Formats: sequence, structure tokens, C-alpha cells
Amino acid sequence: MATHAFKINRYNPDDERRGHYMQEYPLDVQKGWTILDCLNEIKWKQDGSLTFRRSCRSGICGSCAMTVNGVNMLACETQALTLKSSTIVVEPLRGYPVIKDLVVDLEPLVESLYAVKPYLITKTPLPTDQERFQSPEERAKIDGLYECILCGACTSSCPSFWADKKYIGPHGFLKAYRFVADSRDEGTREHLEALDDKHGLWRCHTIFNCVEACPKDLNPTKAISELKKELVREKIG
Amino acid sequence: MRVIKHYRVHLGTLAWILHRLSGLALIFYLLLHIWVIHHLIGGEESFDGIMERFNNPLFKFLEVGLIGVIMFHLFNGLRVTLIDMGVLVERQKLLFGIAVALWLVCWFVISVAMISRFGGVPFS
Ligand code: FES
Repeated sequence: MATHAFKINRYNPDDERRGHYMQEYPLDVQKGWTILDCLNEIKWKQDGSLTFRRSCRSGICGSCAMTVNGVNMLACETQALTLKSSTIVVEPLRGYPVIKDLVVDLEPLVESLYAVKPYLITKTPLPTDQERFQSPEERAKIDGLYECILCGACTSSCPSFWADKKYIGPHGFLKAYRFVADSRDEGTREHLEALDDKHGLWRCHTIFNCVEACPKDLNPTKAISELKKELVREKIG
Repeated sequence: MRVIKHYRVHLGTLAWILHRLSGLALIFYLLLHIWVIHHLIGGEESFDGIMERFNNPLFKFLEVGLIGVIMFHLFNGLRVTLIDMGVLVERQKLLFGIAVALWLVCWFVISVAMISRFGGVPFS
């Protein structure tokens, strides 16, 4: 008897007739194995057709975000035994179109990211032979913001995003605030531009799914509150 | 292509769902309220007539429920306002706990006051 049963949501675009279905794989899970290790074990020894995305296997690249037992997480950062369940249900991220098995199309994630201009915007010319300096205090202001790896776990858990595919989403807001809060950035207006919109900030209903979902323990809702204040300040001075 | 749309419910989701449901209930109440008030156009007799129709135990208990719905929407609404202002965002679950506690206490106090007047004329 294997210690665990993995129920994996499968879909093969070449077999439309079969559609989406759950397939079960028994697996003897060893202490220390991550969900990604388990998926690899299944792919290598049981079923080579199982498809999922992973790159760094160390929580840096954000490729392996998926829904495990109903919660979004990074497969490479979660040890299977910590789930304390002998049945482990693995599904693709919610809200995004499934390409194959556990691989989703993250194009909408990237598109809404571009909308907030996720880069440092400066207007004053660079002092000669110098970098743009930042004091340790100014640098500390972007703690809890710069760590985002854009895995998509937050936005895929967000009901506002399910209802509006053009919604910028918590990942976009967090990234926007990362630059608005950066002392070197001079493009607050440019970052805010896309946010004051019906697909922007005002569609957040403070459901906090994004905070629950973030594998890096960041708080997009906090960023959303700060951005709302920024917009209101801009409007009424 | 199929897109999955559900997520494990936690305190924040629960607060949001209850806020939506109580909001819908209040819209329904408001429509009823406007319909009742519009009888004023028909003069004293028409208004008294409609008020008489609501003067029964069922509607009195519904009124106690209505206060509960209003109180929930009020206190959770204040929680959402605080969150929007960036206050205690990291402690939203604690905020929800406080909102629920205030809601239950206020609802209880007002309900007792209302029920103790059930025999007499409402809101006199
Ligand atoms: S594989 Fe890179 S974050 Fe999991």
C-alpha cells in the first residue's frame, strides 16, 4: 500500500473528447519530498505524459504555482507531509485557461503587469559616475514588495479576477506599489494611470484571498490600500 | 478552455460573502419600505391600512432580523472602510472578530429592547 494517493487534474488538448478528468496515482512519499518531487516521481516512474511547469525548484522563478488541496502554493516549496493528508489533489491555477494538465496560460498575468509599467521611471538625469542612491530607511520601504516572484498564485485566487479577465489583479497592484514606494522612482502618475479604472483598484472587494494564497507571505491588499490613498490624495490634494 | 473558479473559504471570503448577502437583503427591504411609504399619497386611511397589515408577530420578528442584517452590514462596512484607509490591513481577521463581536452585542441589546415592547405600540 502506497502512503499517498495523488489525484491530479488532467487535460490533453489533443483529446478534446475526454476533456478534463481526475487521474489517481499511488505514491510512497518520503520525508522531505516536496509536491514537485512527488510530481517528478510520478512523471519519471509512472506516467511520462503528466505535464507541469517548473524551472528553479527553489521558490525563485514562480513557474510551479498550482492549487494543492484547494489552496494555491508553490509545488517546489511545499513538503508533501506538511499537508497532513493522505490524499493530495493537484489542480492547475484557477482563473487561467488550462493549456495542458497543470500548465495554464499566464498571458493575462503578463499583460496586466505591463499596464502598471513595472520598472523604475526617472526624470532627473543620473548624476555623473553615480548610481541613484537610497538610504537604508528608504530601502526598507520596499520590503514586503520587492520579493514578489510573479507566480500568479494571488490573482488566480481572486474572485474579482474571475469576474473580470481584464482586472489588473493583486500581482499588478503589488508591483505598481513596489515602484510608487521606491524613493528613486519619479513616475508615480505613470504607474497609477491604469489603476484608476473599472479594471483597476476599485474592483478590489477586500476578500483577502490573495493574502492567503501568496507563497511569499506578502500582502497585496496592503499595497492596494496604499495605492487607493495615493489616488485619493492626487484627486483631492 | 475550462477555467476553474472556486477557492477554499477563509475568514476574509466569509466576511465578503456575508457583506454581499446582507447588502442584497437590505436592497430588498428598501424596496418594501418605499412601497409601504408610498401609501402616504393615498392619505391617512391607506397608510394606516398598510401599517395594520404589518402589525403581526411574523413581521415583528422579521424586524428583529432586519436589525441584525443592518448591524452586520454596518460593522463589517466599518471594517472594510478601515482596510481601505490602510488601517490594520495585516490584522483583518482580528478586525472581523471585533466587527462580529460588536454586531452580536448591539443586535442582542436592541433585540431585547424591541421584544420587550412587542405587546405595545412599535417605536412609541
Ligand atoms: S520551480 Fe521555481 S518557484 Fe517552484
